[in-house]
Amino acid sequence: MTCIKLIFSRRPRLKVGRLLGAALTSRRCLHDEQVTRESSALPIIHHSKYVCDLPLNHRFPMGKFPRVLHFLIKDQVITEKQVWVPEIASKELLSCVHTEEYLNNFINGKINEQEQRRTGFPWSEGIVRRCRYETGGTVLAAEVALQRGLACSTAGGTHHAFPSFGSGFCLLNDLAVAAKYLMGISSHKRKILIVDLDVHQGDGTAFIFKEEPSVFTFSVHCGKNFPLRKQQSDLDISVEDGMEDKEYLSTVETHLPLLLETFRPDLVLYDAGVDPHWEDELGRLRLTDQGLYQRDLYVMKTVVSRGVPIAAVIGGGYSRDIDRLALRHSILHRAATQVWRDCGM
Amino acid sequence: MYNTKMLTPEDMAERGEDFNDVLDDWFIESLKTYKDLHVYQLEHPTQVIEWTSGKTVCVAGYSSSKNEILELQLPLKLFADENKGLCAERDFKVVHGGFTDGPVRCLRHVPGTRCVVTNDGLTSDLQVWTVGGDDSDVIRRTGSVAGRKRRRTDSEGGSRIAARCSTQVLHGAQSDDIQLTHLTSGQILYTPEITSSDPLSSLQFVSDDVFLAGCCNGNIYLTDTRTSASPQLSPAPASPGESVLWWTDAAAGVSSGSVVRLSSSGRAVISDLRNLGAAVSQAQLSVQSRRCNPDDVTVSWAPALPGCIAVSGFSGVVQIYNTSVWGVELQEVQPLFGHRGHAVSSLPEEGDVFITSHAWHPERPRTLLSAASDGSVHVWDWVDQSASDR
Repeated sequence: MTCIKLIFSRRPRLKVGRLLGAALTSRRCLHDEQVTRESSALPIIHHSKYVCDLPLNHRFPMGKFPRVLHFLIKDQVITEKQVWVPEIASKELLSCVHTEEYLNNFINGKINEQEQRRTGFPWSEGIVRRCRYETGGTVLAAEVALQRGLACSTAGGTHHAFPSFGSGFCLLNDLAVAAKYLMGISSHKRKILIVDLDVHQGDGTAFIFKEEPSVFTFSVHCGKNFPLRKQQSDLDISVEDGMEDKEYLSTVETHLPLLLETFRPDLVLYDAGVDPHWEDELGRLRLTDQGLYQRDLYVMKTVVSRGVPIAAVIGGGYSRDIDRLALRHSILHRAATQVWRDCGM
Repeated sequence: MYNTKMLTPEDMAERGEDFNDVLDDWFIESLKTYKDLHVYQLEHPTQVIEWTSGKTVCVAGYSSSKNEILELQLPLKLFADENKGLCAERDFKVVHGGFTDGPVRCLRHVPGTRCVVTNDGLTSDLQVWTVGGDDSDVIRRTGSVAGRKRRRTDSEGGSRIAARCSTQVLHGAQSDDIQLTHLTSGQILYTPEITSSDPLSSLQFVSDDVFLAGCCNGNIYLTDTRTSASPQLSPAPASPGESVLWWTDAAAGVSSGSVVRLSSSGRAVISDLRNLGAAVSQAQLSVQSRRCNPDDVTVSWAPALPGCIAVSGFSGVVQIYNTSVWGVELQEVQPLFGHRGHAVSSLPEEGDVFITSHAWHPERPRTLLSAASDGSVHVWDWVDQSASDR
């Protein structure tokens, strides 16, 4: 299928993105679909505050976020001019998904011990701030994708967060917030397809949109991985331990085109978790670097070539070697750059 | 009249979901408390875990008739310290297997050989097995060693076994039937001059020629095989009014020279091998004391963590204690670490699960293996979260 060539007019490039409409819903969104796109490279959404300090030897690979950007620039895949900087997600924005009580407790440090344990993070002001920036980043990526056709964050994919509690290293559900926000600010109710290829089921997202017909949740995950207690996505594909590149890609190819055809989304949110990789410490599948690249290339090309905007987030990945992990996450952005080129964006 | 409620499929599903939720909680917590944790499920539980190499262990069932005896290779990922990500092997693997005619109550590897020696707790005879060889994946019976006494009663523990070199085995069920036997000829090389008949809870070499026999009543006999003199008897620590069982372990690694005695009421006493009569320190452990058999409890010194012991068998938890902070006065102490994995992951309808055995890795400071009554086997490398962490 040939990619649609989009015509752009020349305009000075905006460097800093804005989450418009977030605080004051009455204000008109600058980035509505009537603005002509300008000639530019693949938008990359990143914030230095995607990170915070964690206790020594904490298992969450916090250091990976800036390293993803570092390698993309070092390898000349992107330049700093492509980087869009999100604003912090406001409480009001977050409240479209999360309960008032949870947000108050979360922001003010009143999450109890047991709840903290389930998230895997000790509470701190830093962790609150970084989660809010991360969510802001995913929302901006979605907005920019609507404008430009394709955008990638260097973070995101916190799909285990539920409206009233966090779980599995996820404290706010960025994909859900982005979906709900973008559904809400359009004149017609936008249809959003969430493609979650992280090796862990997107249980929080599935739960949040269970009764929402305008959001379709699609998750491919390893059955034996966390969470064992599964929710019901609109389409769950649970795969066996040890699945390799060929069979995995074939699984995605079986379902994605049909979903695009029948659901006809206005926007796709893509969680490109790298934890299906064979080196991942927690994931139980056996994808290679090449397999991840083929996967991301396939998903983004398939969506873009149908004229549907797609915003991608890096999703999960677990390794004690941060650089190796960051390089693995950067496969997404490299594939996106390829798609940007191939589709003349 | 009782209103018996029929469990609907929905009830069953919900119970399963709750259990899954518990496992999910445990998984997230384990990411913080362990550097590594791998689990394996045996078809039948084992009471023995014995290293046969740096990466393999032997386990065996203890049901009354036929049992499997297996050599398991630990997940190779555990050993890939530098490049953990590069090793995909995260599962235990059965590398050799065979069948026994009876339960296996004690199992020892003969150093420098591919042989293991077992005792079924029914007689004092030992079975000798050869593991693999000639491209075979079978563990087969290749000999036996006759013990002195015959039939045992159920309440007595089986024979304890110790092996220091490749040609001899030390064994016995009671203090008066200990013998050092030549493995292949069956010739009895040495028997200590002990007249009292105390059931043994442990038998171990502390050097090439000296061994320690720990009795269930708390007596310890220290024997030098080079002399004909009677072994030194060190009586149990005074425990007025209590009828307790005692287990003993003599340290071989970094804490060499120390001996621990643990009672079924949870009292632990530390002594020096050169002066077993005196208590260097003691403590009351945080264990649920229960009616125990001699085979239930294991206490062992860490080979590579100074002053640390592991205790198991009182519950579904393996506890690590740091004895170097204990005092002379008997005081309650808290464990440095507790491995709760077996207890957490056992199905509620299976009842309480108990740890049947544990073993420290010979070199890796915080790596242990543990087995439980539900057939689970775990290998874990725990994170020391105490303030004085290096």
